[in-house]
Amino acid sequence: MTQAFLSIRNLRKTFGAFTAVHDVTLDIPKGEFLTFLGPSGSGKSTTLYAIAGFQDPTSGDVLLQGKSLLSVPSHKRNIGMVFQRYTLFPHLSVAENVAFPLRVRRRPETEVRRKVADMLSLVRLESFAERLPAALSGGQQQRVALARALAYDPPILLMDEPLSALDKKLREEIQAEIRRIHRETGVTILYVTHDQEEALHLSDRIALFRDGRIEQIGTGEDLYLRPATDFVAGFIGNSNFLAAEHLETVGGASTIRLADGALVSGINANGNFAPGQKTKLMIRPEAFRLERSPNNAELSVEIVDVAFYGERRRIVARTGAGQEIDIRPTSSAAATHDASLGGRQIFFDPAGAFLFPASSKTGKELSY
Amino acid sequence: MSVEAQQGIATSRIPSGLGGLLPALILVGLFFVVPVLALLLRSVTDPAPGLQNYAALLGDGTYVRVFFNTFVVAFVVTVVTVLVAFPVAWMLAIMPPALASILFGIIILSMWTNLLTRTYAWMVLLQRTGVINRALMGAGIIDQPLPLINNLTGVTIGMVYIMLPFMILPLVGTLRAIDPMTLRAAALCGASPLAAFRRILLPLSLPGIAAGGLMVFVMSLGYFVTPALLGGTSNMMLAEMIAQMIQSLLNWGLGSAAAFILLVVTMALYALQLRLVGSKRASVGA
Repeated sequence: MTQAFLSIRNLRKTFGAFTAVHDVTLDIPKGEFLTFLGPSGSGKSTTLYAIAGFQDPTSGDVLLQGKSLLSVPSHKRNIGMVFQRYTLFPHLSVAENVAFPLRVRRRPETEVRRKVADMLSLVRLESFAERLPAALSGGQQQRVALARALAYDPPILLMDEPLSALDKKLREEIQAEIRRIHRETGVTILYVTHDQEEALHLSDRIALFRDGRIEQIGTGEDLYLRPATDFVAGFIGNSNFLAAEHLETVGGASTIRLADGALVSGINANGNFAPGQKTKLMIRPEAFRLERSPNNAELSVEIVDVAFYGERRRIVARTGAGQEIDIRPTSSAAATHDASLGGRQIFFDPAGAFLFPASSKTGKELSY
Repeated sequence: MSVEAQQGIATSRIPSGLGGLLPALILVGLFFVVPVLALLLRSVTDPAPGLQNYAALLGDGTYVRVFFNTFVVAFVVTVVTVLVAFPVAWMLAIMPPALASILFGIIILSMWTNLLTRTYAWMVLLQRTGVINRALMGAGIIDQPLPLINNLTGVTIGMVYIMLPFMILPLVGTLRAIDPMTLRAAALCGASPLAAFRRILLPLSLPGIAAGGLMVFVMSLGYFVTPALLGGTSNMMLAEMIAQMIQSLLNWGLGSAAAFILLVVTMALYALQLRLVGSKRASVGA
């Protein structure tokens, strides 16, 4: 087994009776952009803080190139970090903020100047060098924070929801900056966010956290197209969960009965289900079709609302069992088919739908 | 300069509001301006017109030593107060608010306790046969009582104790405004705790230290009770000297001159602090 660049081994952190991180094990190769995604309180920030040295884990280890970081104090870990709030030093100019990590390392003045100039040009803030942080916008401040965190060429850059205080437009702009800087510097980035779009946009891989554990880790596509659990399916992208009873599974393809009595076969079984077990069927809104195709399953619904969103339409429909579902057919289908209100059949590919046990939590209530 | 600017703004904003200010102006004039002018007048007219009172004060080595001593005591008290108050203020700034307000209450309560009572309590603690000396001798740490009273040590201990709240309160305000995350950021940037303190925390808390420090220094300059009770004759302070001049020697002119010198020095220091802190604020805002 080759040695990982950064390795998190059985990390566990408890605060009194509360366990923030149960057991996180993770290997991160050099240069990867890995995002910790999850709802608040899922343990993603706690894991990041253990790497930063702000919180000692209850047990487990964090290894950088095979050496444990845990006994190393924060200021000797040589890790870069950008925080959720702006943490620039308010009494120092932009240039001196970026120079700070070099000055405490007592680097020669010529090197400090050269590096500060390089970093400010990396984040495109050369002309702001002499300003004080208070004279910058939030987005500019986070770019200075990024320059400061990269000034000493740390092997790892930690980012703790760095864009959450910015508005949407600025967020997208800085996401593009972060991608470019990751490409240009090749630094290994651990990024924490609760925003799935941000995670999908930025990351090489995403570790989805839930209740102090990693629910699934993989590329954005893995998590979107092959969710391991209903939690992943519900958290990444939009999804419809339909109450269903599992009848049988043969050769990885399951047959189920939906709440309105319709039978659907050829479903991807995600695990083992007993005959008669209560389950839920996950179908992405864009997987629904308004026209019949071969091998598609069909569903009788009542269309209750159609809204036009430019690139696509959003249709709200109600199943025979009274459950609302969200349908976003691709534009060609939407353009060619009239989606007027009222009862009709809709269609989906059963191989693109996923079956999960009904008992696990999604945050969405289903009635049977 | 900044005072002029402020007055300019005030008068331009309320051009016709001066009538409403009249009661306040009368109060300030009657009880603050008039007495100070009377003091000044007395210092140059009593016993005869002229500056002989000032000449006497500044020409006599004994008086000059009292002035010098007053500044030394005020300076030492201010420095020690800052050193003791800073850790306390930092603790109050970062501890859970509920606990901090209890501690605040205790500190405020000590301010409300009678000054004489507290000073006499220190006499009991500090004297040759006092609690501290007996405890230290009983423990075998010293075999002669330490000279803790009737000297600079006694005055410093007693006055620092009284001045602490005046330093802690403005300092906590400044320190609370500092985001603790800033210090974490400094640590990850590679700053040792000492470097983070020196380069980040200390510069950011300077306005609070300056405000509290000036208050403590100015109050210490004119302090009477504590130096009189805990100090020695060799390090008499100005307030004691003024009291002697007026009570024992009935020399109102000399006492007034001494008081006026103290007032001028205090105002000069205040102006200096305004200049320093004011210019700092201006540059932060730029």
